[in-house]
Amino acid sequence: MSEHAKKAKLFLADESRSRWHDETLWMVRQKRDHVAGMVPEWEDLRQQASDIKTDVLEHLPKYLQQFEEKATHHGVIVLHAKDANEFNQLILSIIEKHEAKNIVKSKSMLTEECGLNRFLHTRGIEVTDTDLGERIIQFRGEAPSHIVLPAIHLKKEEIGETFHEKLGTEAGASDPTYLTRAARLHLRQKFLSADLAITGVNFAIAETGTVVVCTNEGNADMGVHCAPIQVHCMGIEKIIPRQTDLGIFTRLLARSATGQHVTTYTSHYGKAKPGGTMYVVIADNGRTPQLAEPKYRQALKCLRCGACMNTCPVFRRSGGHSYGYTIPGPIGSILAPRRDEKKWSDLPIASSLCGSCSNVCPAKVNIHEQLYAWRQDLMQHKKTSWLKRVTMKITGIVLANNGLYNLLGFAARKALKYLPHSWVYMPLNAWGRGRELPLPPKQSFKQWYKQNRKK
Amino acid sequence: MNNIDILKERLENAGASVILLTENQLQSCLETHFPSILNFTDTVTCEEYRKASLEKMEKIDTALFAGRFAVAENGAIWLEDEDLPQRVLPFITQKLVLQIHVSKVVDTMQEAYQQISLQNTGFGVFISGPSKTADIEQSLVYGAHGARELTVIMLS
Repeated sequence: MSEHAKKAKLFLADESRSRWHDETLWMVRQKRDHVAGMVPEWEDLRQQASDIKTDVLEHLPKYLQQFEEKATHHGVIVLHAKDANEFNQLILSIIEKHEAKNIVKSKSMLTEECGLNRFLHTRGIEVTDTDLGERIIQFRGEAPSHIVLPAIHLKKEEIGETFHEKLGTEAGASDPTYLTRAARLHLRQKFLSADLAITGVNFAIAETGTVVVCTNEGNADMGVHCAPIQVHCMGIEKIIPRQTDLGIFTRLLARSATGQHVTTYTSHYGKAKPGGTMYVVIADNGRTPQLAEPKYRQALKCLRCGACMNTCPVFRRSGGHSYGYTIPGPIGSILAPRRDEKKWSDLPIASSLCGSCSNVCPAKVNIHEQLYAWRQDLMQHKKTSWLKRVTMKITGIVLANNGLYNLLGFAARKALKYLPHSWVYMPLNAWGRGRELPLPPKQSFKQWYKQNRKK
Repeated sequence: MNNIDILKERLENAGASVILLTENQLQSCLETHFPSILNFTDTVTCEEYRKASLEKMEKIDTALFAGRFAVAENGAIWLEDEDLPQRVLPFITQKLVLQIHVSKVVDTMQEAYQQISLQNTGFGVFISGPSKTADIEQSLVYGAHGARELTVIMLS
């Protein structure tokens, strides 16, 4: 069994939880459909977003330089990191330079990707995650299971227990409003004493040198405006050319992500506050090699909205933690193998190739086509399990040989009819676990067609 | 529906309260509904808070700001540095009141970005409702970190 399948099995062991997970994410997908349907030009917006991102990827150096010139002109300090280690070292050097003790961080998938919290922790520096979902999983020592809904794998009773232990809320209390209030009070204290705030970046505007951060909770703004030092972290692909492009992306992002017309706060940071310092740290960390591969380049158009996760029949039923990679779900499954083909070889298989991910993607990333391309590449590079390769080899031989195909089809129809149930559903038949085959037909389609065509 | 109706509906859906007033009703409305309000459309109040400490600002119950314009399709209201003696104010206040003139409503975000100049703005924000979260079992709770309540006063 693949790693993904093993972890999915654990998730599915709790039937009521996995059903809740499936239904809840489907509800988010339906909300997305509802609000997208209220925008008549929705499909045009997706196309425009896709075209802008394609242009960005083709002219990335130009836009990055333009962004840096503008931002620097506004007194912003722009730094570059080649990889995760350089990125973490840069953040550490900023913290040390300003002797920052109290650090707050709002959501940033890049810092997750680079393992920033762990890196700083080993050097005795603690970062407080301020997004409620992220704070919950930080308390529990877990990784986010979804990029927009990081604690979607947890039930309120579990969160209640965690808060009882960490924040002294009443034992057994699990009311979401009560727990959210407790977190608000706890994190307000963290904001008021913060001396450095780290955020992610949704969009960076080349034309103006501005970074844009979208939140519902207001945690990015509370951190950035309370702390004298603000540090915004972005991958190189977050650049968009012009201010007016934001009109397209802000119309797509929240509608795709959570089914809201826009996030509660869409914040534009261009200059530090009076007496403050603003940094933008731009990381490559494996994006340039991805850019060099035409087949997989489009994955860099991703806006990190999570729509592909909410719609994915495999994600909804297996949970984000079953993927193992920082970014789970369909988009993660085409990003991960680029990092390590062997380690993540099972992720492109964890898909039904139904194409729903590509259909909801606001930037029109061809996710399911890339999943298919990865399957072929990983098979050719011999990164998949030998069992899978042998099975595929045999399947290939059978499908290419007419007589053999007919014979085996005949044998299978007979076998399914006469063999005892326990033989057909023996442990080797992984597909048969939890599934029943339909009754075999009397003849193959080929035979049926030959007979009926003559009439 | 005209864009004022759409704006009102989208704001209310996002958890905000909307009050429609004429300009000469504003003062009495504020006195009745928000007796302890800090009015940041007033220069004296702005000056008082330009250098205020976080501790002082944390104690603010209700704060009023004038939005530059609003976006009908999503209820977003634009504020920028010039409207704010300190950037943290509309977030740190417990309750937020934003006033906006009905003539300053655009239809979509694409029109909205024609109205502003990020080139010349140190900080600007679209606010479309009270702070909220659904991180616990997808149950919607208002008042995560920013203002717990948002009231939008639409002036005609």
